[in-house]
This record gives sequence, C-alpha cells and structure tokens, in this order.
Amino acid sequence: MNGKHLIGYLLLCTLTLASCSKSFLQEDPSTSVAVESAISSETDMLESVAGLYRSLDNYFIFGRNYPLFGDLLADNVYLSSTNSSRLLMQNNYTWTIANTEPRTFWSNTYYSILQANRIIGSNLDITENVAQLKGEAYALRALCYLYLINWFAKPYTVDPNAAGVPLVTVSTSITGPLVKPERNTVAEVYDKMISDLDSAFLLMPETTPAIHIASSNFIAKYAAKALQSRVFLYKADYENARDAALSVVQNGGYSLTDSPGDFAAYWASTASRTDKVETIFELNNSATANNGIEGLDFIYAAQGHGDMLVTDDTYAIYQETDSRRALIQDGTRNGMQAYFVNKYPNVTATDRDEVKMIRYAEVLLTLSEAYGRLGDEANARLYLNMVAQNRDHSIAPYTYSGNELLDAIVLERRKELAFEGLRFFDLTRLNLDFTRQNMGTKAYSYYTDVLRTDFRRIQPIPQEEINANPNMTQNAGY
Amino acid sequence: MLQRMLFFNLLLLHGFGGFVALAQEATVRGTVYHRETREPLAGVSVKVVGKTQASKTDTNGTFMLQALPAEAQLSFSMVGFVTQQLPAKSNMEVFLVSEMQALAEVEIVSDGYRTSTRAANASAITSIGGEAFENKPFSTFMQSLQGQSAGVTAVQASGQPGSDVAIRIRGLGSLSLSSNPLIVVDGMIVNAGVLSSYANSSSALAGINQNDIARMDVLKDAAATALYGSRGSNGVILITTKRGNTGKTQVRLDAELGVSSPMDPPEAGKPLSATHYAELFRETLSNGGYAPEQIETLAESYGLNSGLSNHWYDLVTRTGRQQQYNVSLNGGSDKAKIFASAGYFDQEATTIGSDFKKISGLFNYDYRINDRLYLSTGINFSNVDQNTPNGTQYSDNPVWAARMLRPYQLAYNADGSLNTEVSGNTNFPGVYNPLWIAAHDKKHLSETRILGNTQLKWNIWDKLNYTSYFSIDYNTVEETIFLNGTMGLGASVGGYGRNYYRRYFNWLSRNQLDYRYDIPGFSDFYVTASVGYEAQRSKEYYLAALGYGFPSGHEDLTALSNAATPAAIVGQYSNYAFTSLYATGGINYQNKYALNLSWRRDGSSRFPTNNQQANFYSIGGTWNVETEDFFKRQNVFSSWKIRSSYGTTGNANLGNYDWLPQSSYSGNYGYAGYNGQQYNIIGSRNLRWETAKKFDVGADIGFAEDRFVLTVDYYYNNIDGLIQSVPTSLTTGFASASQNIGAMVNKGWEFTVKGDVLRVGNFKWFSNFNVSFNQNVMKRTANAAGPSGLYYLGEGYNFYTYYMKEFAGVDPANGDPLYYVDASHAETTNNYAEAQFSILDKQSNPKSTGGFNNVFTYKGFSLGLDFNYSFGNWIYGASDLYFTSGAIYTYNKYQFVYNRRWTTPGQVTDVPRFSTTTDYSTSTFRLYSGDYIRLRNVSLGYDFKKLAMFNKLGVSKLHVYARATNLWTILFDDRLPFDPEVSYAGNEYQNMLKYKTFTFGVNIGL
Repeated sequence: MNGKHLIGYLLLCTLTLASCSKSFLQEDPSTSVAVESAISSETDMLESVAGLYRSLDNYFIFGRNYPLFGDLLADNVYLSSTNSSRLLMQNNYTWTIANTEPRTFWSNTYYSILQANRIIGSNLDITENVAQLKGEAYALRALCYLYLINWFAKPYTVDPNAAGVPLVTVSTSITGPLVKPERNTVAEVYDKMISDLDSAFLLMPETTPAIHIASSNFIAKYAAKALQSRVFLYKADYENARDAALSVVQNGGYSLTDSPGDFAAYWASTASRTDKVETIFELNNSATANNGIEGLDFIYAAQGHGDMLVTDDTYAIYQETDSRRALIQDGTRNGMQAYFVNKYPNVTATDRDEVKMIRYAEVLLTLSEAYGRLGDEANARLYLNMVAQNRDHSIAPYTYSGNELLDAIVLERRKELAFEGLRFFDLTRLNLDFTRQNMGTKAYSYYTDVLRTDFRRIQPIPQEEINANPNMTQNAGY
Repeated sequence: MLQRMLFFNLLLLHGFGGFVALAQEATVRGTVYHRETREPLAGVSVKVVGKTQASKTDTNGTFMLQALPAEAQLSFSMVGFVTQQLPAKSNMEVFLVSEMQALAEVEIVSDGYRTSTRAANASAITSIGGEAFENKPFSTFMQSLQGQSAGVTAVQASGQPGSDVAIRIRGLGSLSLSSNPLIVVDGMIVNAGVLSSYANSSSALAGINQNDIARMDVLKDAAATALYGSRGSNGVILITTKRGNTGKTQVRLDAELGVSSPMDPPEAGKPLSATHYAELFRETLSNGGYAPEQIETLAESYGLNSGLSNHWYDLVTRTGRQQQYNVSLNGGSDKAKIFASAGYFDQEATTIGSDFKKISGLFNYDYRINDRLYLSTGINFSNVDQNTPNGTQYSDNPVWAARMLRPYQLAYNADGSLNTEVSGNTNFPGVYNPLWIAAHDKKHLSETRILGNTQLKWNIWDKLNYTSYFSIDYNTVEETIFLNGTMGLGASVGGYGRNYYRRYFNWLSRNQLDYRYDIPGFSDFYVTASVGYEAQRSKEYYLAALGYGFPSGHEDLTALSNAATPAAIVGQYSNYAFTSLYATGGINYQNKYALNLSWRRDGSSRFPTNNQQANFYSIGGTWNVETEDFFKRQNVFSSWKIRSSYGTTGNANLGNYDWLPQSSYSGNYGYAGYNGQQYNIIGSRNLRWETAKKFDVGADIGFAEDRFVLTVDYYYNNIDGLIQSVPTSLTTGFASASQNIGAMVNKGWEFTVKGDVLRVGNFKWFSNFNVSFNQNVMKRTANAAGPSGLYYLGEGYNFYTYYMKEFAGVDPANGDPLYYVDASHAETTNNYAEAQFSILDKQSNPKSTGGFNNVFTYKGFSLGLDFNYSFGNWIYGASDLYFTSGAIYTYNKYQFVYNRRWTTPGQVTDVPRFSTTTDYSTSTFRLYSGDYIRLRNVSLGYDFKKLAMFNKLGVSKLHVYARATNLWTILFDDRLPFDPEVSYAGNEYQNMLKYKTFTFGVNIGL
C-alpha cells in the first residue's frame, strides 16, 4: 500500500467513523427511559398509572399529611405533649412560609399532577384499557387539584374569583422547565376539576377492564363520579352534587357493611376490597410499599408514634352505642388518659393500613346534604338515616328539619369521616368559625379559636415558588 | 537542526562572559571545563580551523596556542563531547557539553498529541521528573504533587491512606461539575477521582506505583489543553511511565521501611484532659444557672468524681508501620527495549481501623519492527486493598470519637474487655465505643485495575507518520461493608451488611497522521500538520446488595449471604462515549518564531443530540528572543523566551444521562403489586458544554548560563456557560433544572525559579521555588446575588466568599459574645439576632500557594527539603459547634476554649463565658485563617561512590536514605484547632488525622 492509498483509506475510516458517530454517541440509561417514549404501550401506561398512585401515597401528601391535617388543623385531633417532634407548628397554628409541610403539599401534589398530565397527554390509541387508565389519571388529577385548591385558596363559597392555584395540564416535557404560570381563579380550577371528572367518567368503562385488578386501590368509573359529588358539594353546587351522588348510589353498586361486627372487621382489615363494600377508593399500603414510621397509621396508632390524639369534644359526639366510637381507643399516654385513633391499627403488621380516600358513606351524606340544601328534606333524612342507623342500630331515625337537619348532616359527616381528613374542608366551605379544644397538659400546646378571618386557614405558597416564579402571588397574611 | 540549536545556546553561554575578538596575531591561553561537573578537562584537542596548528589541554585543562591569525576560529573536540567552534580570544574559558547531556537538554515537550522542543513550545506546561515521586512514603503519587508546580494544588483532606487527592490547576474550574483535571496515563484518558460507593475516601489512581512514573506533565493553558477539547478546561495531567533504555540491562531494587505517627492537632485543638473537662463541665452548668446540688448530681452521674477516665485521642491513634518494595528491570537494544517492575506498598494508618496495601506491576515493551515500523506496548496491573473506619460524623468514627467522647466515658470494663454498655453516662448511651466499632465493623475496599495500551508508529515516508493507538482501562471496585449487631449503626437490625461491585471497562482508540513540510530555500523553516480521530467508550456495571440479621455467635460470618433478611438489590449500568476529530498545525522559523494551531471537534453521549458536537481551538505563538542578534549584546540574561496562547476548552464532567428527561423504574414507584414508573428526572434538552476561554502569556528567562530559569505566567480563564441548578416553578413537578448560565473568571500570576542556586566545589544547591496567585470572580450567576449556604454568591465576588455574622470578641464586663451590628463595625451587640450578615473579605480558596523544594548535594550526600505553603484562605469549622459550645456540654471541647474562655470581669479574651445559655450560632467565631507553611519532606541520602566492594557482588549503585514527611507545620492562627489542609470549599468536618512518616530506604542497582 503506498502512501496515497493509505491516506485515502484513513480518510475513509475517519469519515465512516464520523458518520456512524451519531449512534456511537447514543447511550441510554439502564433504569429509565426518555420521558417522550415512556408511554408507548398499554403496559407502559399501566406502569405510569401505578407510579402516579404511588406518588400520591407519599406521606407529605395523601399518604399522611393531607388526611392528617384535615383533622389536626380542624377540631378533631391534637398533638400529645409526649410526641416525636413532628408537626409541632401545625398543632400550634404557627407555621410560616419556610415550613416544610405547605411546601411539600405544593411540590409533591404538582409532581403527581405531572405524572397524570403525561398519561393524559399520551397519544396511545384509545382502547378500552387506555380509556380506563386515562380515566383514572383524569380523576386523580382532579383529586390533586381539589386538595390544592382547598389548602391554598379561599373556599369557592367565599370567593370563586379569588386567586386559586395554577392549572398545569401539560407535561413539563412539552412545556419545558422554565414556565412561570400564574394562579388561576378558584372558579377556573373548579371548572377544570369538574371537566376532568366528566372526562374520567366518560372514558372509563362500566366494568373495569382486565388491565389491572378491579379493587378499591384503583379509581373506577363511579369513584370518579363520587369524587365529583364532593367537588360539587365544596362548590355549593347542590343540584349537581345531588345528581352525581345519586348516580353513584343508583349505579355504582356500593354498599355499607351490615353489622357492627362487619364494620369493625372492615376497619381492622388491611386488604383492598373487590366487593364494593364501604370503600370506593383507597391508597394501597402493602408490605413492600408503605410509609413506614411516617405513615398515617403510625402517627395515629398507640403502638406507633401515637402523637395525634382525639379531643374529648370529638369523643363526646359519639353515642355509646355508636359502632364508630370503637374506632377510638381509650388508653393512656405518659400516665395520662388519652384517646387514640384506631381506624388504622395495623402498624405492627407488615401489610399496612390503606389510606381511605372516598367511602360510600360520604357519598350518601353528600347526597343527604345536597337534598337538604335544596329543600328536599325527606330525601335528606332518608340518606342521613341510612348512614346513622347503619352505624348505630339502636337509634330511631332522625326527624330533624330545617337548620337542625342540616346541622345533623354536618355532624354526621364529622362522626363518619373523622380522621380521614375531610373535616377541615367542611368547616371552610361552610365558612364556620371553630374551636380546637384546649387539652391542657395532655397537649403539646394549643390554639383554640380559628375564626373565619384567620389567615392560616389558607396555607402559604412556598417561598421557593415565589422566588422561582415572578408571576406567583402569596396568600394574605404570610 | 538540534545541533544548530545547541550551537546557538552555546554561543549564548559565552555571551555571558563577554569577549573581545582578537584583532591581530596573538597568543591565546585558556582552560576547558566539563560543563556539568565544572571540572577541568584534560586531553581536549584544540585546533585552529583551516590550519594544521593544534594543541591539547593538560591535566589542569589548560592549553596555549601561539601566533594565531586575526579572527581565528578554534575547534574544541573530545570523544563523548559535543565539538565546539569558537573565535579565539585571550584567557578563554571553554565549557564542553557531554553528548549525553546535550541529548537530554533538547527537551521534548509533549501535550500528548504532538511533541516539540522546548524552544518551539508555546504552551504552559510544567514537567515534573519521576524523581519527585520515587521512594516517597505515600499511598498515592498525587500526594507528591503538592507544592511541585506553580498553579497546581493537590489537597488530600483525609488521612486515610489511598484517599483521593483533589487537584486543582489554576483554581476552581466549575461550580456544579467536577473541577478535577483530566488524567491521562500513557495516552489513555482514564476514569479518575472517586469511583467507590461507600468508602468515599479512595482514589481510583491509588494503584499507580509512584516508582513507575517517568515524568508528569501538567498542562495548564489553552495551547496545551485545547486538544483535549470538551474535557480540557480543568487542565490535564499526563503521566508517562518508565520505558526501557538501550544499553546495559539495569536491575534496581528498592526497599523502604518506616513508621508513621499521627499529626496531632494544633495545641488549640487538642481534646481536653479529664481534669480540664470536669472543670469546664461544672463551670458551664454553673454559669447556666444550675444549682450547686444539681451540678453535683450531674457530675456524679457523668463519672466526674469516679477517678476513672481515659484519653480517647490516645486510644484511637497509634503508631503505624509501613513498608514498600520495588524491583525493576530496564534494558534493551536498538531493536527491543523493556521496562518491567513489580511493587508492594503497605501502610498502616495512625488511626485505628485504617490501612492500605498495594500490589502493582508494569511491563512496557518497545520493538522496532523495521526502519519504518515501531511498536510500543504496555500493561500496568494493580490491586489496592484498603480498610477505612466509619466516616460518619459520630462516635463510630474514631476521629469524631476522640473529639466528642468525654474522658469519663470508659473504653474498657474493669476486667479489660471492651465496654459496650449503652446505659449510664460513663458508658455509651446513644453513642458508640469506637474501639468496639473498629474491632467489629468492616469497611473494606479492593480495587483492581488493568491499564493496557498498544501503539504502532509507521513512518510512511520521510516526513509522514501514522500512529495508531489503542488502550484499555479495566477497573473493578469491590466494597464490603459490615456493621456489627452488638453496638453501632447495625445494632438495631442485628448486624447489617452491604456489598458493592463496580466494574469499569473503558477503551480508547486513536489514529493520527503527522506531516512535516520543509519550506524549500530556507533552512530550519518548516510547517507541521496532523489530523487524527479518537473514539472512547466507558461502561460501568454496578451491582449492590444489602441485608441484615447476621449470626450473632459467629463474628467472622460477615459475608452477605449470612444475612437473614435480604433488603435491597441494585443492578445497573452507566456508560459514556466520546468521538473526536482533531487537527493541529504549526510553523517554525529557525526556532526563532513558532506558531501552533489546534482544533478539535468533540462529540459526547453526555449531551442532547442537538448539542452533542462542539468545536474547540487554540492558537499559540512563541518568540525565542535569545536567538536575536540584539539579545546577544546584553549579558544579564542567558535566555529569554516569550510565549502566549488563547483558545477554548470544555468541561463535560456531568452525569452520563443528566440531560435526558427521564421516566424511571424503581421499587419506590410500584403500586399494589404493579411495576411503576415516574417522570422523575427533569433533564435539560438544551444543556451544553461549559466552555473556558483561556488566555496565557508567559516568559522563560534564563540567568547565568541558564543555571537558573525564571518562568512567569499570567493567565485569564473566562469560563462561560457554567451549569447551574436554576430553580423552577414547583408547578413543573421539579424544584430546579440544570442550565448553562453561570460565568466566572480565574486569573492570576505564576512564578517559578528553578535551578542551581549555589555551586561551590562539590557542594550544590538545587532549588525550585514557585508561587502562584489566583483570583476567582463570578461574572454571572443563575440567581440574584445572595447567600448560598455559608457563602455569598454574586457577580463580582469570589465563588467561595464567606457570608456570616461577625464575631466581635467578648464583652470584658460579663463575658457575653459580641457581634458587629453591621459591616461598618461601628457598633457591637450581644444579641445575635440583632447582628447582620456581612459579606466578608475572606474566602475559602487560597490567594497564593506554592512550594519551595531544595536538594543539597555534597559528594555522595544529598539532602532534600520540600516546603509547601498556602496563604489567604479561611476555614470554617463545620463541626466545631459541638467542640466549642457550652450548650453541648456533654461533648469534649477544644483546648483553646478552655484556655481562653472568659472567667473574670475585666478579662479581655476571645472565647465567651462558658455556659449552657450562651448563643453559639454560626459566626466568624468558628472561622479560622488557613495560612500555613509545611515542611512536607526532609530526606537525607548517601550514594556509595566507592563500590569496589559491592562491585564484586554485582552492585553498581547503592543509595541509602532516610526520610521524614509532614515533620513541621507553621500556622498563623493560634486558634486553629485542626490541620489547615482541608477541602477547597473550606469546610472542616473532622477528617481522618493525617500523619508524619519516618522511613528508611535503600536503592540497589545491579
């Protein structure tokens, strides 16, 4: 080979190498995929939906803090003077913009919304399975916005035109990371939730297809409708709340437990349900996937941290014959009598308690309240008694009317849904002043009167968001 | 050409003496000397050019020639010496250079892609000879680098043998990416830094045997580094291993034995004795308002009255032993040359539970296939075996234990067994007995590396060369961690084990064509050009497993398979690839002027597809002023060279897949039994290289026949597109995204004076003094100017500018700590909350660093004295709250706290009244000056000259030496409680204690 040939040969080598360098430089990670191609089959979508559910179970949001704050910041629960140093500022109503909990409400919920957005935005052909999974993502996105709007904005019933939260509905992989969204109004966020839940309901088949198990761990068609009845109720749109709730009652196939024994067994179980009894939707906590010592069960249960105790006032709302009173355990803490929450008792088991998100009894009480507020007292009493008499077989049907009836319904919601994180929303949507009982030396500290003017009824927008996003406005008072 | 250059040089040498050419016939006398030894040379033939007249020097080196014609030229020649021709003059002094020396002096400068003579070189490259590394008692060769070269710092923050040495060339190179220089070993770009998972104090390069290093070149400016393209911005370190020489085969044996002792903390930072601790304990409680009976109850409970105490510092430190042995063989013919070596290094650290062993082998082979083909190949094998104590900031770390444990916490039970009792304040409630931990926990690392390369050079025709190079860097890192089930972090789970396995397979191929064109009609006027292509891929495979619940009765069963509960498994890989096309060009006119150009187009898998390729270039020029006629008219300087360069380089040290928005799978994302994925990595689709635009201008100035040379460099590195984490709206689902936003400048001066300072008879003093001044200035940052941890990050400030409240001393009246209200220092307050944060004129990176390295020789003796120093940096005692605060009275304290605390009204001091209620929040109280000068190395050696006795045994060379390292350190802050050589960020977390070594060694040549 002479020199000229060699140069030619080498140049050829170089060019071939250079031209194939594109694929040579293609290196792909081994535990992840490019987000653009992450959902390209039904199984991909199922795994993305699983990732979405799991993100919700994070203890900073639905795994603990959302359901806990709904009672701790309301009038059901207080922090024991003997505690693990968790959530001291929440008990005392002294949190600031620098507080971790509001920040993680915000950041983790938007992280879950991101997971939902990329499922909703995927361009897979709509098969029955895809429709089901996308429907679940729509419903879960609405669930996320419902909690965001209720923790970070004024209640719809107070000012629908108030600043809400930014409506982010497109995946960050499409918008790019540098978007600086403004806050939408409360009404706009409600409209979006309602339309998301309509989409969810329309997309999902009547019978959950075989892509995953049909259990209480997943959103089903009527779970979306049930959630929508809650959205309408918080919006004080009672006609739509009634229609949505009625649709669940008539078509959902859900039922309450029959006996107090069944009811107790229901709460003692950690298994998800496929029989549509009581639970409409709950977040799975299994032996391998749970929040450990940060779980909702662990902070309540006497064998866990047992930090969060039931106020005497709350205990007193239950009759002795009420099977729900058995869900509060009378015990001692640091030598003093204390009421422990016993709805989530399985902290020592490997398979841990699910976090209840929507139960049938709530839908019945929503239906009752909607009827009541629309003036149909007979139906209001019907559904109120359906719950009340199921839980306490010894009582006669309530015969209240007028405001007494409405108060009885709200009280029944408190009794039924205590320690499930919904109490605070009832107090804010009805714009009520409320009193958090001072438990004296049993309590870490106290902050009793929460007036409707108290700025801490709304959480602060995290400072990080304000710093990074010039279009963001802070809530009053912070 | 080379001869001609030498000739110029020799002319210059004579310029120094100054001479008057003879105008008429005369008698000429003179003396001829050996230039290196300065001894007179006998038997040199002195001829008059063009005549038959000749003479020879006598035993005194003198000669005489009579009746010479005007402007006669004399020729001096002798076998083994370079012939010189000089104009005759009276009283001539002639210095002949040996041929060997002449060859050596035509110094070759290489940046790894091209070589040039020192004269034609336009780059800022410091070459460090192998002797700087040989026979050093260090576990990694990089420890020898500190103080060797201007602009280069090499800090080993930890005293763990084998731990990583952080090298910085001309300052901080990046904010979020690595600032480590690129390491190239025999042409191979290796995976360097820290490759281990858990034993984070291990260097990937610890396996390289320092006795195998022939030379190290530190490439600093653009002209030198631009050919490394996307990876050159932090500078490049080229390591060349020893290769065979022609001539007699040489066998060399080196043996060294020694001991090490801990470098005790400065007096200010010694842990308190039992008596002092007890006194302080009572005082802080008393000042804190505790009643006397309360204090006595506590004192009793803490064992202060027991009379039983121990000195933790002594318990966790020891005298270490160390040894190293090397054997090498060097030889060959014109046809084939080999260098082979084997080495063993064993060091026991001065902290319990810490040691290091290294086995290494090198085989380099060069073979001339024919006149046109030349093959070089090499293989370097090493295994590093290292034990490290726990590195937590807690009492299972022996260094922390020595600091925090009270003298009254007893290491041993009365029966002499180790105390593992966890209740009772004289035992270990909530803390651990470090002696038990050291005896029962295990943190072991074994790293095996094989570096192999083959190079074929083909001289296609006279001026065209082709080089093909292929290299492999195969590296496995195995780590086994075991935490015992009795006491410590593993106790709650009945023993805890973790295994990590990482394997790196990294290959590089390079093909290069070099061409030289001599411009017709000129002598020594030529153009060079080269073009090449390089491809590299590194594949990492990572496997890890974790389990707990180990057999309690069989301590030795620590292998992971014994775990009752397997807890986690990890298996993944991580790869990167680079492709590069590069070209260089140069033009050289008689070594007077030279101009070099380089260009490189890099592609990297670490960047988004649309930004994968980037171009880097440099231009450099040099002017050898000494070759000009006008230069010869002066006699102050013997040589003067000016060089300058400008160019761009990059930094691609980011994670392999960081740019890619990703949806990941993990056990943490699964739900209700289904596998799950989450969009968890935001990525950045517009991420690019960080780019450094480097300017350098320098001069090499020789004095006294180049007996010593001053090198001066000024540099200005403008680093742009620094990747910073930019906060994003949390509504995106993420808190931040990486963007190429930041910009900063590193600028500075470097000075080196190197050469024989003194030559008196047989006494010689060789010295290398270097100093560099570096300044870092932020030009743009992602965020508005403001605090960033301990620092203030803003345009116009050093990246590591401290930002904290300023301690103003102690109120003599009541012992309260005082703080300046604001930066004006007009007012002080004893209320911490009232004081404002100040942007301090203090930063963590030094303003000036350097070394002063000396070798004194007299006959067979040689004395080496190496100093290094660092000035202008400040260190924040990040852990010092625990060791200075009265509120944390259950921890032992620094000696200076005891010595200087306020006790009596009117006392002027700088440590506040010691009390549980004093506010010890972050302030300049815990900021210390890091200035120091260290005597890094003292060695005394003797070369046995009269080897007759040994010759019979076949010994041709015998050298013995004794060496001490880190013998002496001068500090400038009498409160500094720890060693000043800390990480560049200036945080001190009680790293493992460094040590002094005392070694004795022998080198035998056969």
